[in-house]
Amino acid sequence: MNKSKPDKPSDGGHDDSEPSWFERNVNSIIFALVIACVLTVATQRVFGLGYDEQHPAHFPQEEWLGFQAIFGFVVFIVIVFLGRALRLIVERPEDYYDA
Amino acid sequence: MPEVPTGLILIVGGLLLPLFGKRFSRYVSFVVTLLALAWYWSLGSDVSTSYALFDMELTPLRLDNRSWIFGLIFHIAAVITSLYSIHVEDTKQHVAGLIYAGGAIVAACAGDLITMFVAWELTAISSVVLVWTGMQQNPEQQQPIYRTGMRYLLIQVGSGVLLLSGVILHFKQTGSITFEHFLGLNPGETASIADYPLSAKLIFVAFAIKCAFPLLHNWLQDAYPKASATGTVFLSAFTTKLAVYALARGFAGTEQLIWIGCTMTLFPIVFAVIENDLRRVLAYSLNNQLGFMVVGIGIGTELALNGTAAHAFCHIIYKALLFMSMGAVLYRVGTTKATELGGLHKSMPWTTAFCIIGAGAIAGFPLLSGFISKSMIISAAGEKHMFAVWIILLIASAGVMEHSGIKIPYFAFFAHDSKKRVKEAPWNMLAAMAIAAGMCIFLGISYGYQWLYSILPFELEHGYQPYTQAHVILQLQLLLFAALAFVVLMKSGLYPEEKRAENLDTDWVYRKALPAVVVAGRHAVVWVDRQLRLLGMGLLRWFLKKQESLFSESGVFGRTWSTSAMAYWSALLLGLCLVLYYTSR
Repeated sequence: MNKSKPDKPSDGGHDDSEPSWFERNVNSIIFALVIACVLTVATQRVFGLGYDEQHPAHFPQEEWLGFQAIFGFVVFIVIVFLGRALRLIVERPEDYYDA
Repeated sequence: MPEVPTGLILIVGGLLLPLFGKRFSRYVSFVVTLLALAWYWSLGSDVSTSYALFDMELTPLRLDNRSWIFGLIFHIAAVITSLYSIHVEDTKQHVAGLIYAGGAIVAACAGDLITMFVAWELTAISSVVLVWTGMQQNPEQQQPIYRTGMRYLLIQVGSGVLLLSGVILHFKQTGSITFEHFLGLNPGETASIADYPLSAKLIFVAFAIKCAFPLLHNWLQDAYPKASATGTVFLSAFTTKLAVYALARGFAGTEQLIWIGCTMTLFPIVFAVIENDLRRVLAYSLNNQLGFMVVGIGIGTELALNGTAAHAFCHIIYKALLFMSMGAVLYRVGTTKATELGGLHKSMPWTTAFCIIGAGAIAGFPLLSGFISKSMIISAAGEKHMFAVWIILLIASAGVMEHSGIKIPYFAFFAHDSKKRVKEAPWNMLAAMAIAAGMCIFLGISYGYQWLYSILPFELEHGYQPYTQAHVILQLQLLLFAALAFVVLMKSGLYPEEKRAENLDTDWVYRKALPAVVVAGRHAVVWVDRQLRLLGMGLLRWFLKKQESLFSESGVFGRTWSTSAMAYWSALLLGLCLVLYYTSR
């Protein structure tokens, strides 16, 4: 008999009335993320990117201040909105193939 | 150690497994994978054994700097996945798993195309059993999973048939079955797919199917999420990476691969955003990661090919880790649908931690394995001054951060609390995940990546330094600001909520459109047939009616004639005869 059947969820042994560390510190985590973001751009501004002959920049964009930061932010949002648009085209009921 | 293909150890071990019974076969399976790994390690990376068969030379074992790394990671994956599935008392699954892993290893370590073809088909047949393992886990979905398996098998065997056709043609044209680059290109040289002979083109398509090229990809997203918790982990490691190895060996430097790879990195990321089944999200993510490797093969320089091999190595581990964490969720909760998950970090903290390490590795955070391999491919594009490719790979990197870096761990373990309180994953699943997570960290730090770089196919003149100031800062900018975008979208409510839905992909063509065309064709044939038969019946009816009217009482042939008319006509004819008689005398 294959044992890989889901165990029935049980409430025993886990106290879920208390919020977890993550739930209590969501705002602190977001704050830390913002600080980390600022730090990455500040580091580039203050220390540069350390390009030299052995490790040169291949494209001028690599040297623009915060290029990849803005790029990452914008691309992420564009991908999510493309996903929303794609949903309009490809979304079907869950039993579409089996109905 | 005798120089035998270590994949055979797994295959023979798999075949003998039923002798040990349900209780012990799962442990024996794990021991066999360990033994095979140790044997493989002892063989080293410079072995070749050949046998003459008719007028061909078979090379069932060829370990060199190109194949050794792939054989090694396949062995490691076999060990991890066997450990992960040690709780499963289904001997059939262990047999299929061992034969599948063994087949992939034999194929990767084969020096000739015939051995490769046989092993190629073996992986197809054994892996479909793994797809069908989902039927036991999900009994109410038996029929859909059975049909998925059949579709998977048809596509995989189809790839094998193309490979065999290409190999036969190749042998007829060249008289050789040795598996080498089909144009004899060296690293750094490039060619177009049009330059290859027909035999190589057929083989290329066979590899393309297994590598899930765009439009040929959907068997992957269709089948992998349907297998059992453990079956999917097996499936994720071998087939596609075997295809990557085969492409890297036979078609490196083929320019079209760059753009095929770019497409592969891009389109799955959008599908992954809206997919509800997190194992299917991982299947799209797998497709996206293959894209990076295919780009590396297309660029074809030593750095790029090293990047492909390194990325395949790291990818197998972190992708297995992610599939394992989702498998643990499936095993405990019974689903991996994001709409039904959330808050599991409270009850599955270890699985959560391992999943986050896997997510960090695939996203390419410094100090984790993805960073030191993906950056090689992106640097290779940079070295060749391919600006568009560089930009596309950056977009793809942000996309990976979205679906695998954030979506997988967030929606499974955090997000809204689903109030599901389950047990932590079994010890063996945790142990397998811990090993994989440990390797993700090991490969991301100094000793680890230096070891990995030392077993890559080519020794680079100036080496490769992943941890430059620019790499670290720019990568962190990309990833952290992408994470920031996620926070902004979540806080503003613009992030699309998870929905229970089926999202159409190219499998719609053969699951809906083609059957609809066939049904419409059948209706058309029935209609034409009916019209022809109606026409025939109409003609027959008209003919019978005509006969009826002709022979009826009032018809020409059926009505009664008066005797006077008969006498009149007889007298006339006799008179005519008399006249003729006299005139002719």
